[in-house]
Amino acid sequence: MKDTLSQKGWVSTLFPYTKPHWRGFSLAFILIVVVVLIDLAQPLLVREVIDRYISSSNPDIRAILRISSVYLVIVLLSFGVAWYQEILLQRIGLMIVRSIRIDLFRHIQSLSLRYFDRYNPGRILTNVVSDAEALNNFFTQFLAYMIRSLFTLGFIMIFMARLDLKMAMYCFLLVPVIVVTVIQFQRILQAANAEARRRLGLLIGFLSENLGGMSVVQMFHQETRQSRRFDARNKAYLAASLSENRRFMFFFNVTETLADLTVAALVWFGGQGVIHGTVSFGVLYAFIGYIRRFFQPISIILMQMNILQASIVAFRRIGRTFAEMPDIAEGCCRVPEPVSGAIRFEGVSLEYTPGYPVLHDIDLSVFPGDKIGFVGATGAGKSSVMNLLTRFYDVTTGVVSIDGVNIRDWPFEALRRTVGIVQQDVTLFAGTILDNVRFFRTDITAVRVREACLLVGADSFIQCLPKGYDTVLSERASTLSAGERQLLSLARVLIFDPRILILDEATSSLDSGAEEILQEAIHKVSAGRTLLVIAHRLSTVREMDRIVVLENGRIVESGTHAELLGRQGSYRRLYHAWSEQDKAA
Amino acid sequence: MSGLRIVTVHCLQNPSSYITGILFIAASCVLATWIPRLLGQVTDSLRYGHAGEGDIAGFARMIVAVGAGRVIAGWAGRFLTHMKGRELTYTLRRELFAKWSTLSPSYYHTKSSGELISHALSDVDIVGDLVTLGLNMSVTGIATLIGTFWQMVVHVDWKLSVASVGPLLFIPVLVRRLGPAIRSQSHRAQEALDAMSQVTGEAVWGVRAVKAFGQEAVFNSRFEQRAEAIFEEKMRFARLSALFSSLVPLMVNIGFVFILGYGGFLVATKAISLGDFVAFTLYAVLLRLPLEQLSNVINIVQRAVPSLDRLATLLSVEPEIRNRPGALTGQVFHGDLLVDRLTFRYPGSDHDVLHDLSFSVRPGQTLGIIGAVGSGKSTLADLLIRLYDPPSGSIRIGGRDILDYSLATLRKGVACVPQEGFLFSGTVLENIGFSDEEPDEARAERCAVIAVVHESILQLPEGYDTEVGERGARLSGGQKQRLAIARMLYKDAPFQLLDDPLSAVDLTTERRILDNLRTLKASSGGGASSGKITIIISHRLSAVQHADEILVLQEGRIVERGSHETLLDSEGYYAFQWSLQNNLFSGDDGKEGNDDDKAYFPKDFPDNERQEPDALPAVFQVVCPEDLP
Repeated sequence: MKDTLSQKGWVSTLFPYTKPHWRGFSLAFILIVVVVLIDLAQPLLVREVIDRYISSSNPDIRAILRISSVYLVIVLLSFGVAWYQEILLQRIGLMIVRSIRIDLFRHIQSLSLRYFDRYNPGRILTNVVSDAEALNNFFTQFLAYMIRSLFTLGFIMIFMARLDLKMAMYCFLLVPVIVVTVIQFQRILQAANAEARRRLGLLIGFLSENLGGMSVVQMFHQETRQSRRFDARNKAYLAASLSENRRFMFFFNVTETLADLTVAALVWFGGQGVIHGTVSFGVLYAFIGYIRRFFQPISIILMQMNILQASIVAFRRIGRTFAEMPDIAEGCCRVPEPVSGAIRFEGVSLEYTPGYPVLHDIDLSVFPGDKIGFVGATGAGKSSVMNLLTRFYDVTTGVVSIDGVNIRDWPFEALRRTVGIVQQDVTLFAGTILDNVRFFRTDITAVRVREACLLVGADSFIQCLPKGYDTVLSERASTLSAGERQLLSLARVLIFDPRILILDEATSSLDSGAEEILQEAIHKVSAGRTLLVIAHRLSTVREMDRIVVLENGRIVESGTHAELLGRQGSYRRLYHAWSEQDKAA
Repeated sequence: MSGLRIVTVHCLQNPSSYITGILFIAASCVLATWIPRLLGQVTDSLRYGHAGEGDIAGFARMIVAVGAGRVIAGWAGRFLTHMKGRELTYTLRRELFAKWSTLSPSYYHTKSSGELISHALSDVDIVGDLVTLGLNMSVTGIATLIGTFWQMVVHVDWKLSVASVGPLLFIPVLVRRLGPAIRSQSHRAQEALDAMSQVTGEAVWGVRAVKAFGQEAVFNSRFEQRAEAIFEEKMRFARLSALFSSLVPLMVNIGFVFILGYGGFLVATKAISLGDFVAFTLYAVLLRLPLEQLSNVINIVQRAVPSLDRLATLLSVEPEIRNRPGALTGQVFHGDLLVDRLTFRYPGSDHDVLHDLSFSVRPGQTLGIIGAVGSGKSTLADLLIRLYDPPSGSIRIGGRDILDYSLATLRKGVACVPQEGFLFSGTVLENIGFSDEEPDEARAERCAVIAVVHESILQLPEGYDTEVGERGARLSGGQKQRLAIARMLYKDAPFQLLDDPLSAVDLTTERRILDNLRTLKASSGGGASSGKITIIISHRLSAVQHADEILVLQEGRIVERGSHETLLDSEGYYAFQWSLQNNLFSGDDGKEGNDDDKAYFPKDFPDNERQEPDALPAVFQVVCPEDLP
């Protein structure tokens, strides 16, 4: 029951993508039929030659030559048609895969962070890369071979019936035998295949775990034992794959034997027919020719079953991804222009996992242009507050609003333009520095990028690079220092000129020299913006208009530096610790 | 080592299997070429009218016999070659794993485990295909070709044979001309696919950046470009391969045209019998599949060559950390640890991560090392246990250079708790007794009690026999770390290294564990030269506060050192961190000064265990945003 449901699922996912290609499919279909017909004409042609021209009392040599030249033309035609048909089908398959891939990627991009928390990146990657490739195999291999084989079978049956109905009927008795064999084959092979895959999975799991923890294995000096354990899994997989192979060969040989037996039977019965004059020799010849071709398409269909299985798995996985819905819905309210940058949290709480709140009842108002510092220990909920403002996650209860409009009602585009964030970990992409700063937006000029870099003080180090702004960064941008990366990310935020700027531990992984440069940059860029800073240095915090102290997901204190100092609370203790350190430094 | 050697060595090791396999397959193919010949004879006996029912029955029996022969021979041959080929994949995987267990962490820094796994899977499978499918197909193709040709030439007419097989000889020409083009195009298609994977990977790993900037559209268009490139490259590939795959049957069919015309002419002029003619037409059908397969062999070989080279490279990597010639094997790894002006940079890097570190630890003492992320404390840990080699003479144990000890001695002498406590799939007991072939349950239990994990274990569904899942996925972070501590204690080595061992454990439990460790140390004759050296690396100060000496690392330098008390008095980084890590948690009790335990661990301190539910599957654990990538 569940199985049919999920099967329906993948069919309905796939169907719309095939729709624009019905014409192409039909043409390919017709061409395949033409190729099959030409291929099957061969025994008929020979029968014609044998019965009409060779076996007759005075052979007609000119007719023989005429038929062979006609056949030569047909063969050349068949070559062209076969070639064109294969390209056509490949083209359709690739086009379908391309649109599925693009939609899949767009869809994944539209999903919220919870999705990315839940599934590991490797799995998402497999979905876009390998699963879509499996679909390609479905169209270009499975479909083509299936159509060709089914039509070959069908036409052979028609031709046979037309040649000699009685003998054809006897031959058709084979069909149920073959069908039963195929079904049995599928069932048994699927079980063997599943077992082999299961064991392969164990093997991969073990391998991945041990490669990840190789230093632990070495430290405990367990290389031999782990090798032995790997060997056990390796052997188990070998055994399963051998048994799968044995089963496959068994059925392969059963069909081969069946083919030989059938030919022998044809010789036996057909030969008697020829002796008694009820069957012409040419017909017997054609039957032998056809019955041998009976088995090849069946073998091909059998071989395609693996591709079908892999494709179905891929379809289902893709279908499941399409079924994921972003749990952050875009708002469609009109937002006030220009945005002033006032922020309000009202009774906000947040649970990443139901039942485990990380923020409780947060109330906070920020006026446009305010500079707010957030302090608190790791896990106190500082980043969670920022995650809500950027709508990486939605509140569990309460309301977060900007300029009096609930951020759930903001269109994404406006919200992203309004709120900019600099995070501790800078994500740089493979590409030039220029493209990284402008986020590959070619509508942003190099001049503007340069201005932003000058403002944050990144220009000087970029100019020192061999190719300046056109220096290509590798995937992890390992050539740049942490400070340089952070400057780039700050420049990147500036390009988009957000009214609200969040600095989420932007400087915490920097050494003191780099931090100083960055602090200066931040000071410059924050002018005229609402600024929210998660800070861990006194110098930064003291400059803020207001300081919010978080503990275990609650705001425990808030006020100006002076107010908080007068309160004898957490902040005061922290301040003393800080100033001691500054003295020491 | 050239990649092809892998295959030749394997074949030479199993000569009889391969020769038998090849002979059987060849025999099967030659027998198969006999069937058209038999059918030709049937034709002649029918045509020239002297056949009785008995003759026909005889032919039918012959066909069955030859058919059975070819099936059985083919079966045996394929069985042998497939078995050997799969054994090769098994052997290769075993060798890869054995090689990987000898390689040092620096290797795993340059190669991701995903990359290595893909070598162990696809490259090995491709090589397996070479030996099974490649061998099968080429033997089938060649034997069928030879068998057919022999039947034709010997029994019928050499001119007709040449005319009908002649076009087939163009197939090798086609393979030589089109093969390289197809191969390089396939390579380009693969590159296009890789480029797309890269963009997808960036979008997935950098999802926070993409979303924060609202630039999904930019990535969509970058992705579309890559998807488009794949389409283009694959279409080029399709055009070439379609040309190839339709040219092969064309050659066969042209051969058939000759049979039809010239053969028909020969029959009509009574130069050959109708039976021979029939046999010829059947040969043309018979040849088609093996010839197509034969051209497929080229693909298989082309695919296998780079895989073989990659595997050969992998198998010939030399471990960076090796025993020195004449390494001390009998020596006990024991005595004072002396680090002398240690400066270190990673191989291939151009800046030092550790500058001029000097310190010493006597047996029975505990050393604490603290510092922020990137301060070099984990690098120091890696050097102390020789996951990387320190400069000669800079780290000494018992008066001898650490490099002089054999790796086996060193690793017997060291027990450690790695970051995040890395566990392996298997039972709790197997994990604690990881250093033992047959874990001693009583001993494991004692260690678990010291590591304050015994009670948690008993609450697991099957206690000590509970499977912990891959990398300990079924346990919470704190449980994993405590199990890792128990695992270290079980090993009972003279040198203990704990790298951030308690980061996921709540403070109360942490204190109990540290107390237990101290008690254990004191009771085992600590202070004397027989005691253990313990090094605790942590970013949480409470974990090192009782150490005999604490080093504060910053940017690879020791910036402060001393006992907890002297460091607090010096009012530097340590003192600041101490206030930061304790003050903000201490609630509004108004007290200042933190020198009694009550102030460190106030009663209302949040019970972290609540957020770390025991024995819940990993999905139910709280995700702290700070921990997200």
